[in-house]
Amino acid sequence: MSVDLDVKNVTVRFGGIVAVNEATVYANGGRITGLIGPNGAGKTTFFNACTGRNRPESGTVQLGEDRLDGHGTANRAHRGLGRTFQRMELFESLSVAENVRAGPSAHFSSFRLLGPLYATAKESKEVERRATDAMERCGITHLARKTVVDLSTGQRRLVELARAIATPFKFLLLDEPSSGLDAAETNAFGTVLTDHVAESGVGILLVEHDMALVSEICERIYVLDFGKIIYEGTTNDAMSSDLVRSAYLGEAIVA
Amino acid sequence: MTEFLVFLPSGIAIGSVYALVALGLVLTYKTSGIFNFAHGGIAAVAAYLFYELHIRQGWHWAPAFLVSLLVVGVLGGLLVERLAALLGSAPTVMVVVATVGLLVLLQSLMTAIYGSANIFMKSYLPTNTLFTLGRFGVTVEDLAVTGFSLGAGAGLYVLFERTRIGKSTTAVVDDPNLLSLQGTNPAMVRRLSWIIGSCFAAVSGMFLAPKLGVSVNTLILLVIAAYGAAALGRFENLLLTVAGAMVIGVMVAYLPSQVSKISSNPLVQNLPGNTPFLLLFLVFLVAPTRLLTERGVANARRTRPIRTFSRPVTYGGFALLGAVLLLVPTFVPNAEMTQYASTLGYFIVFASLGMLVWMSGQISLCQMSFAAVGAATAGHMLQHGISWPLALLIAGAVAIPVGALVSITAIRFGGIYVAIATFGFAIAMQQVGYYTSILFGQAQRIDVPRPEILGVHFTEIVPFYYLCLAVAVLAGAVVLAVRASRLGSLLRAMSDSPTALAAHGANTTLIKVVVFCISAFLAALGGVVISGVPQNASGALTGPFSVTVSLVMVAVLGFAGRRPIASPLLAAILFQLIRIYPPFNTEGFLKYQGVIFGLLAIFVAISPALNIRGAIARVSSASGDRRDPSAGPVRARLDSAPVKPVALRSTPVGAEPELVGSGKGAGR
Repeated sequence: MSVDLDVKNVTVRFGGIVAVNEATVYANGGRITGLIGPNGAGKTTFFNACTGRNRPESGTVQLGEDRLDGHGTANRAHRGLGRTFQRMELFESLSVAENVRAGPSAHFSSFRLLGPLYATAKESKEVERRATDAMERCGITHLARKTVVDLSTGQRRLVELARAIATPFKFLLLDEPSSGLDAAETNAFGTVLTDHVAESGVGILLVEHDMALVSEICERIYVLDFGKIIYEGTTNDAMSSDLVRSAYLGEAIVA
Repeated sequence: MTEFLVFLPSGIAIGSVYALVALGLVLTYKTSGIFNFAHGGIAAVAAYLFYELHIRQGWHWAPAFLVSLLVVGVLGGLLVERLAALLGSAPTVMVVVATVGLLVLLQSLMTAIYGSANIFMKSYLPTNTLFTLGRFGVTVEDLAVTGFSLGAGAGLYVLFERTRIGKSTTAVVDDPNLLSLQGTNPAMVRRLSWIIGSCFAAVSGMFLAPKLGVSVNTLILLVIAAYGAAALGRFENLLLTVAGAMVIGVMVAYLPSQVSKISSNPLVQNLPGNTPFLLLFLVFLVAPTRLLTERGVANARRTRPIRTFSRPVTYGGFALLGAVLLLVPTFVPNAEMTQYASTLGYFIVFASLGMLVWMSGQISLCQMSFAAVGAATAGHMLQHGISWPLALLIAGAVAIPVGALVSITAIRFGGIYVAIATFGFAIAMQQVGYYTSILFGQAQRIDVPRPEILGVHFTEIVPFYYLCLAVAVLAGAVVLAVRASRLGSLLRAMSDSPTALAAHGANTTLIKVVVFCISAFLAALGGVVISGVPQNASGALTGPFSVTVSLVMVAVLGFAGRRPIASPLLAAILFQLIRIYPPFNTEGFLKYQGVIFGLLAIFVAISPALNIRGAIARVSSASGDRRDPSAGPVRARLDSAPVKPVALRSTPVGAEPELVGSGKGAGR
């Protein structure tokens, strides 16, 4: 059931500043695609445009056959486009397990008129199963009863990821999900992502600064600089591209 | 057209007073993020003080005016500014609780001193006509008011839209981080704007005193005209607010003559008077979401979740409570049972309000209007021979679309606008709605007889008490069921992060509307119970369904705690029951009850900012305990603080420092 994310010619303008300029990204379902670029390149703005958190001036967002542009954030999520946040958005007063359950529960609530009022027995069972699986996969089962405010940044990142993968999204946008994780956690994190993608067929578009992680798990990457996509191709090719090295890695091009 | 021109000058004169009230309101909201529901109360206090000095003490109007302006405008403005500063990081509901508490306090204080009757006061400014515009004679009074408000509007526009310090004051409200980035001190401008805002309220109160009479209730209700004008100015734009006030003034002056040509129906006749309210709702209906932003929410801290009791404690508590409530008629004399029955009715309304406020973070200032809808509907149903239980359910059901209508208009803009819309709705209901035949009619009264169900007579007070108890248990069960249901968990999640909830597909607007509808349903049940005690319901200003009661209930709930059942019960007891027992059954307490409730509500709302625990710790450390009181908590914080690892990543040669470790997480 893997579906591709097809974003075409998205432009986002804040007043006179063009934050994202005619960006086009095609990310395959069942694969992890990287979106890299220096700070301020417009990566999160691009994500916000995909999920309907800002209003792009132009461009289209398509998930499989489904046109998402023109819909609100919740509706796009309902149609299968999920995301995590660079500045984590956890339910601070809830426990880890409640946080993870809230993802699929919120998602299922959008499929019936009375969905927000109550969960059917089938839905409750499914929510429980998905939450348990996701927590296990992310290695946070032992934290299930802890309140999220008591966790370290790395653990909180994992809770946010668990909530996202517990929700039956068709495609995930992950915004710097490994920031705050140590080297060992980052390795484990990469494995969680590749396993999830392999098993569920969900596609992932990953914004990440950790180039080691990106080159390990992403087949293709897009490089964004000053709001423009300046490169697309395989990760290895990108590393050797002068244009990318100059824009992103700060190297001077040797004439 | 010529007819319109005839009404134009008088419309502008009315609009100028509206503009003054609205300018003060918008100015303070714009510069502090605190929407002051007590604005009308400030106008009323100034009017009373002016009346006291000018009429009762016999002062000349000029010094009386000046002293009232200094005391209420300047001194009062500074006091309210302190309150606003303490509320700076409070969640929206607590801001509303505090400012409504202040309104209740002022209203109650004025009523305690001067009574609730409208006091006539003759004009103090020269009333002779200076010149005529069409048929309208322009007096010194008209010129003074119009000149003052137009000048004030222009002056404030220049100060806040054209100067650096004015702009920065507004910007800091939306993004507190900007404070550290600028050299100017916005606190000074904020203080000045509260003084100006209060002065405007005071001036308008004193201008209106000879026109409307000195009455706290009239002046508080009049504020709705300012809300309409403020809405037309998007609660932000000072010039548009003045223009909006003028439009409303002209419509209020002109429309009655036109409406009387169209229809003689009293409801239609009443419509022009409600132009401000209708415009307020129209703005909420048609304005794009980005045009009305809730100010100051970036500052708001999250409320700490309440500690839940263990199951044995909860069940034990409910069992004990149930036993006491069942046994009440055995130890309470029959004469006092009516008070107990109506306490149960108020418990239901408090429970509906508590569910809305503490579970969904929204606040309603029209809960007794929903109760009135319930009472009136039940009255009509019973008159048509429908059985009491069915009438009760229909009453609740009728309130659902009403709740939906009120909430849908404002919910997408944020919590403070819901509070404004509900306040507007409560005032409109009081002024027009209650007089319609579907509610209490022109007679302002409808019978709601106690029933006979399946041969059991509930007409006597003790059986009726048990019927009320059954409805209260039902309402309590609904609240607990909502809390335990998916809706409850979605609401808890939403109060933490609406963004994350929407990102997982949940329709947060729908969730808020649903909980509002359930709340309206429950409030309507409460209304049926309350009206069953005296066996009638009325929309009188002194009755249970008045705007004032809705406001006092918000204040009481504000300090009664955040528990779903215990807090509404405590609130209902404080509000309705304690007045029959000493020492609360004295005239003095009953007179100043609102003042006490208002003070308590304000205290609870600002107490997190007062840091009372810290103060106690400081006092105890000063009195012998040498240990640094901050040492413990700080150490504890350090121990539990998440350590952010700065990982050394394998980065390609030449990578910028921002790519490794600490640089992460700083992108856009």
